Amino acid sequence: MKEEKKGVKPRKHSSPFLKELFTTKPLAGIGLVVLILMVLVAVLADVLAPYPMVDGQLQVDVLHKLAKRSLEHPLGTDNLGRDLLSYLIYGARTSVILCVACTILSTVLSTIIGVSSAVLGGKFDLLVQRLVDAWQCIPSMLILLILMVLLGNGVPQLIIAIAVPGGIAGSRMVRSAAMSVKDSGYVKMSDMLGSNAVWKMWKHVIPNILPIIIINMAGSLGGVVMMEASLNFLGYGVDPGTPSWGALITSTGRTYMFSYPLLAICPGVLIALMVFASAMFGDGVRDILDPRLKGGVGSYNAKKLRKIAAKMTAAQK
Amino acid sequence: MAKYALKRVLLLIPTLLLVCVIVFVLLRTVPGSAVDYMIYQFQTAGVTVDQAQVEHMLGMDKPAVVQFFDWFTGIFQGDLGESLFQAEGVWDIISRQLPVTLELGILTLLFSNMISIPLGIFCAARQDSVSDYLIRIISVLLLSLPVFWIATIVLVYPAVWFGYAPPMTYVPFFTNPAENMKMFLVPALLGAFTQAGMQLRTIRTMTLETMRQDYIRTCWAKGVGETQILFIHALRNSMIPIITMIGGSVAGLVGGSVILETMFNMPGIGAQVVAALDMRDYPLVQGCVLVFSIFVMVVNLIVDLTYKWIDPRVELE
Repeated sequence: MKEEKKGVKPRKHSSPFLKELFTTKPLAGIGLVVLILMVLVAVLADVLAPYPMVDGQLQVDVLHKLAKRSLEHPLGTDNLGRDLLSYLIYGARTSVILCVACTILSTVLSTIIGVSSAVLGGKFDLLVQRLVDAWQCIPSMLILLILMVLLGNGVPQLIIAIAVPGGIAGSRMVRSAAMSVKDSGYVKMSDMLGSNAVWKMWKHVIPNILPIIIINMAGSLGGVVMMEASLNFLGYGVDPGTPSWGALITSTGRTYMFSYPLLAICPGVLIALMVFASAMFGDGVRDILDPRLKGGVGSYNAKKLRKIAAKMTAAQK
Repeated sequence: MAKYALKRVLLLIPTLLLVCVIVFVLLRTVPGSAVDYMIYQFQTAGVTVDQAQVEHMLGMDKPAVVQFFDWFTGIFQGDLGESLFQAEGVWDIISRQLPVTLELGILTLLFSNMISIPLGIFCAARQDSVSDYLIRIISVLLLSLPVFWIATIVLVYPAVWFGYAPPMTYVPFFTNPAENMKMFLVPALLGAFTQAGMQLRTIRTMTLETMRQDYIRTCWAKGVGETQILFIHALRNSMIPIITMIGGSVAGLVGGSVILETMFNMPGIGAQVVAALDMRDYPLVQGCVLVFSIFVMVVNLIVDLTYKWIDPRVELE
């Protein structure tokens, strides 16, 4: 009832999602382009890097450690003589792998928990919600730290440590969305026709809450990179051999901040860029998919009113 | 209202029990127990001990369930156990360090609200204007910069340029406010920037939503001034999601305090957790996590109770 009153306009043009993203949300479009570039760099790291990895390790060249910028090393080298540009390019690979894996894993987890809790209901729902409540009370940073101590350092461990708490936290939003869908006519109809719970969830509930799931997913992208960097700072994160922007800032970058500022500035800027792009993209996705933000009926401000008034007086003359 | 409040307070107990179970189980599955660490310490001191002796000394020879209930019943008696490595009770350590963490948290929230509420409302009032875009871009930039990275820069460069360094000893606020601020101002501002970046965007969206309502249009129509509409008619209605968000961000603030306290050498619980986790000092970690969780729970409760006060239409069940 309330929705109707608000005067939600049907979408003016049924343009495809991407077109709408680029035309109405230019910043989100830029974000998406940056993210795609990052993925490309990650995939093509072996081709792009001036000094590709050998046996999964960057080449160490102690003779040329901490070299200044030169033709051989466009951004110089780090304290082990590893080419900084190559390091950064492979770092993109680590970040992208983490981002994609964590986001997918946590989305799947939150969808399973949220939807099953809403659809099955009853005691199961109560128990799961109490557990989620309790879990939410423990600050996520502390859970992350404990999980990292428990699992040890490394990329797969990081993926689990970041995705599991994220998934549990995200299940709340999914559940409340599923709750609003599960009592609608088509779900009841399907019930009457003898569908089981899994069919109901997969065929009716999940497709109808997909926008919420996607908003959730896009919104959590940037957090992953930030968490990885923070964990590296606190001494838990990737293995020493794995190139990672967060690890570079917190170890070598900090030590040589004055003499070789590039070592600290480059990874910092890249992390910021990636988080920025993800946040902008996530915002745009939400603005387009969230029905509550639709329609500009009756949205005024002082400037707009003055314009309207000016138009009206002009018309009268 | 009173009945609802009482019910909520009573509901805290099962949640607390679940939090304790989660923390306890997580910590006991951590490899490399305190026992190994202790034996190692004894060995370096030239004393040979066997595992059973140490386990008995630490009370770890009892079954895990017994250990858990010893600990859990102790909580209600104000006894959180003894730290394994510091000759002090966990509660003594925490109560000494709590004021530092609390002050940092309160200052961060204060600053971030002072920045984000006026700017967020301004952005909503001037939607899609140049200043709206600028403020939003800056807010996401602030959000994208890793706290520890800015903190490193703040710690290193001003030290060289102006000879600034954060004081190493903690002075309580009421003893000497100026000295106290010297320690807290910079980390609190750094934490607040990140926090404000997050809040600003939500405040903007929420205000935008409210500004589309019918009653706001009526206000415009009858000639109410913009300031009055924004701060009197709209703010109260957009306040509920904002309060929810601020309450929710408390758990995130803890993560920030872990990093900021470690960076700025502040004797708070956040830094203590990291140190204790490194040494596998279970009782201390458990105590710290518990105190943080209770804090988050209490904040959530307060947030829920303020709903009714802000919006009398809200029905508490």
